[in-house]
Amino acid sequence: MDVRLQISMVFHLDKCIGCHTCSIACKNVWTDRKGAEYMWWNNVETKPGTGYPTAWEDQEKYKGGWEQKNGQPELKMGGRVLRVLNVFHNPNMPTMDDYYEPWTYRYEDLFNAPEGADQPTARPISMVTGRPIDIEAGPNWDDDLGGSPVYAANDPNLDALTPEQRQEVFDLERLVFFYLPRICNHCLNAACVAACPSGAIYKRGEDGIVLINQERCRGWRMCVTACPYKKTFYNWSTGKSEKCILCFPRLETGQAPACFHSCVGRIRYLGALLYDADLMLEAMSVADDKLVEAQREMILDPFDPRVCEEALKNGIDDRTIEAARRSPVYRYVKQWKLALPLHPEFRTLPMLFYVPPLLPVMAKTDDGLYDTANQELFSPIEKARLPMEYLARLFSGGNIEHVRLALKKQYAVRLFKRLETVGDLDPAQVHRALEQVDSNEEEAEQIYRLTSLPTMDERYVIPPMHREEAMQMLNDDLWEEKGEAGIGFHERATRGA
Amino acid sequence: MISNFSSPSVSAGFSIALTCLGAAMLLLAATLPASAQSQAAADMFEKRCYSCHNIGGGDKKGPDLKGVTGRQRTAWLHEFIKSPAALNRKGDPAAADLFKKFAPEVMSDQDMTDEEITTLLTFIEDLSKKNEQFIPAGAKLSRPIAAGDSEAGLRLFTGKTALSGGGASCMACHNISGAGLLGGGTLGPDLTAANVKYRDPELISILQNPNFPTMNSVFATHPLNDEEIVQLFALFQNAKLANPAVPAPTAGPSIEPRFLLIGFAATVMAIACLNLLWRKRLRGVRLLIVRRRRQ
Repeated sequence: MDVRLQISMVFHLDKCIGCHTCSIACKNVWTDRKGAEYMWWNNVETKPGTGYPTAWEDQEKYKGGWEQKNGQPELKMGGRVLRVLNVFHNPNMPTMDDYYEPWTYRYEDLFNAPEGADQPTARPISMVTGRPIDIEAGPNWDDDLGGSPVYAANDPNLDALTPEQRQEVFDLERLVFFYLPRICNHCLNAACVAACPSGAIYKRGEDGIVLINQERCRGWRMCVTACPYKKTFYNWSTGKSEKCILCFPRLETGQAPACFHSCVGRIRYLGALLYDADLMLEAMSVADDKLVEAQREMILDPFDPRVCEEALKNGIDDRTIEAARRSPVYRYVKQWKLALPLHPEFRTLPMLFYVPPLLPVMAKTDDGLYDTANQELFSPIEKARLPMEYLARLFSGGNIEHVRLALKKQYAVRLFKRLETVGDLDPAQVHRALEQVDSNEEEAEQIYRLTSLPTMDERYVIPPMHREEAMQMLNDDLWEEKGEAGIGFHERATRGA
Repeated sequence: MISNFSSPSVSAGFSIALTCLGAAMLLLAATLPASAQSQAAADMFEKRCYSCHNIGGGDKKGPDLKGVTGRQRTAWLHEFIKSPAALNRKGDPAAADLFKKFAPEVMSDQDMTDEEITTLLTFIEDLSKKNEQFIPAGAKLSRPIAAGDSEAGLRLFTGKTALSGGGASCMACHNISGAGLLGGGTLGPDLTAANVKYRDPELISILQNPNFPTMNSVFATHPLNDEEIVQLFALFQNAKLANPAVPAPTAGPSIEPRFLLIGFAATVMAIACLNLLWRKRLRGVRLLIVRRRRQ
């Protein structure tokens, strides 16, 4: 057993209102720079939709992530030889158009235009070339467009549906969408780390955050292709790649990342997970529909004394283990089985989990009347407008059972609370619903509390980062550093660039 | 750029007393018979000077040296022969004129003793006085040209037959009409009309002693043998016959339009190959989706 720590996340999609506040918070803090204008380390997509960059989930095009080859995981973009051959021209990169050409407006025209018969306008200006452009796409161009024939219709996940189902999704009565906020998944087996020819990308030992060393990055952009979530970005100004850093300077001072902190719907949870790194190769080698289970198996019980003992041996602090015990992520993912990884079939073992959304129910029309009556216990789940196959394709590698359980359990909790507060349901039926999802009243109450009423401290359980100890790991003789550059980083303050 | 005499004769002996030279010359005269001394000077001139200079017969790469001893002071000539470039750097007007006139040729520094230079100058002055032209004694073919020599010469030129002395084949630096698809190198001049520029004895002399700075460093230790000289000489004759219209080559290599053409074609080929190799590269996913929808 090789116990390691990962700062992990849960996004509760049933609560997401698609306001993009997270994206703006991140943009203002990190990517409001030359060369980074087009980057959205955090973005919110409308599903069904093609997302950002366009159709990023289509790995037949982008060649991201891992695939099983001869029983061994191998990068889909090719083995070492192919990567070396393509090192000067990586053929599977998204173009700027697939992201979008960043733009601003020439606002000064509004004030400086000479007097005339027409109102002056502020022309859109490319932030790359500085010249006027016609805007054709943006990072959330298809925002809220559930049934759009260009973007929604080309969602790669719709391939999981039969032609009839696919047709129905675009029927007027069934039009549906939900939001999918995305940041870097800080994967356990990150493809970007594996693909980097410069060895510039690394996964921090103490918290599992994946970072790009800006001093070692040589801009080969292999990570851009390798990441199946397209969450590493090339900065055309600095010539280096950048990605979400999970706001580690904030985490190190006990604050939640900017996108978490600003989340209006309070859909985001952050906490520590202990996992067994020895099981990793095994977990990423199973069949697609077994991936969710295998990944859950890797996550260890922080209450298990043996796990704690091994964790201590690996240098994980007592207070950190204590934080892992209070982790909301552990409860959502492992205990309640409500949260699922995004596209586990990319086999990077992503550590950002999603609670799938309860979607509007399919209404049937009889004689011009809308009928939404529930005949059966879980009718709203089974008759959701978006077929469960779609959600399974997104969150469980095609295994419908995981999605069904997560949705049914959420619904059962609703029934439980309705019985408690409104009281118009049959207690036996509610009890049966809870039993069917292998739950009980106590757990339902806990799920309800963490979903609907959590305080900030319950949503973000940030283990102490012990930077002072990390400093000691870097250098035995701290006196040498004293008075040089604080107790921050190893490098001394010097003049010049 | 050299010396001080006026009536030359290679084979005939001449009297040192008649020329009234300085003490050094007298010393030399006492140690060597006059004819032998003259022969040594003629050999030296042929080996070291003749590839660029004439005595009578006009300018070559460098000026005709007939009467040079009357044009310049002896001390100046000594200094110039030892290092023309150094004299030019000092701002000497006569040296500057010569450099300008014969640009881009630059006479290399000669590693010669004062005695050798004096002998040489005496020889030139003598020949100039006699109003004779310098004919290199050794510049004769070892046998008459026979059928097939020109072809053998081309093989030597292109390096298909290695030179016996181990020298680099001509093609490494020179071009000649008929030397392969891409022609030869452009470091040295095109030799297609070499026998228009040089008279036969000069050409043979060059083949025997290629005393140009660049060639000397290569061929001084790897000389051609007599047979090779005959064959290459035959080749030069033939090349001119095959291309009577070729003008005498001008100084400095010219850019071959053929190279430009081949370079352009190769670039197009390379781009086509890369395009083929990476034909499945992504060319914009969104554009494709939008275009498909519009159709």
